[in-house]
Amino acid sequence: MPTRQLAPEDIEARLRAQFGDDVTDVVVQHGHPVATVTPTRYHDVIRFLRDDPGFGFDYCDFTSAVDWGDAGMEVITHLFSTSAHHNVRIKVKLPADALTLPTISDLYATADWHERETTEMFGITFAGHPQPVKLLLAEPFEGHPLRKDFTLMTREAKPWPGAVEGEEDEDE
Amino acid sequence: MGLITEKTPIAKVQPVKFILNWGRRYSLWVMNFGLACCAIEFIAASTSKNDFIRLGVIPFAHGPRQADLLVVAGTLTDKMAPALKRVYDQMPEPKYVISFGSCSNCGGPYWDSYSVTKGVDQIVPIDVYVPGCPPRPEALLHGIIKLQEKIKDEDIQEKWLANTPAGS
Repeated sequence: MPTRQLAPEDIEARLRAQFGDDVTDVVVQHGHPVATVTPTRYHDVIRFLRDDPGFGFDYCDFTSAVDWGDAGMEVITHLFSTSAHHNVRIKVKLPADALTLPTISDLYATADWHERETTEMFGITFAGHPQPVKLLLAEPFEGHPLRKDFTLMTREAKPWPGAVEGEEDEDE
Repeated sequence: MGLITEKTPIAKVQPVKFILNWGRRYSLWVMNFGLACCAIEFIAASTSKNDFIRLGVIPFAHGPRQADLLVVAGTLTDKMAPALKRVYDQMPEPKYVISFGSCSNCGGPYWDSYSVTKGVDQIVPIDVYVPGCPPRPEALLHGIIKLQEKIKDEDIQEKWLANTPAGS
């Protein structure tokens, strides 16, 4: 296990050396490297980050998703090293018509519940998940509430009384 | 409810009715169905500064089967709603429910949420609504006094018949 914190550039260089063109983009946000990888190598990248002794990413902080509308979805997995205290985020872009990704719950037990939550909230399927049932929502719930196109019936009946976030300037 | 059914007209006799209602309203074993921050205000109302025990409300019943009063304090979600219904059904008659706080009254700040039940009165009948987000302990004391006024004037036989399906 490494005891020295790796610079974001070091993590980026090692990822690119290992996966080449499958790492499509790396940016540094808040001092963390954020790597976008192709869906087919997602599981391999996470496994590499966990098992490579140079990294020591032994803790999966979260797995979640972002809905970009017509551009599809983005799954984000955050890993952390408890010994070296460095972070990495892995992003995977998924087209709207193929929202499937292999599970990483076989690598990190933490990812189990996070993937179940992501599944119910965004409708992304994690192939190979050992228990693909709802986690937080009641079982008869229909739809995926964190999607942008999810309809809130109460807001249909009565619109949001205040300004929508980011639209304040347009109203003035 | 014991002997006070439609078969015992003694409950209609004014002094008996008075004594029964007097006994009920000053001996309310309360079940705290605490779901969110309102539950903290409920606990504050039970402690020495506000002390609703002096009003005859006895907190922390051992279970719903020993309770007369259910205080729903907090945000009820659709997933939790069956549990509330089950607790309510386990309580023996006569039973009373106080809806404590905006969330349990109508959904409160979660009025447009996908998971919050907008109003506990969709699940169980409510006797007193206490508004606030969260209400102060004094508001709960006021709600308890309002409930006691309601119990003072109630006809237990009418309540029994209203809650009993015809023919049973």
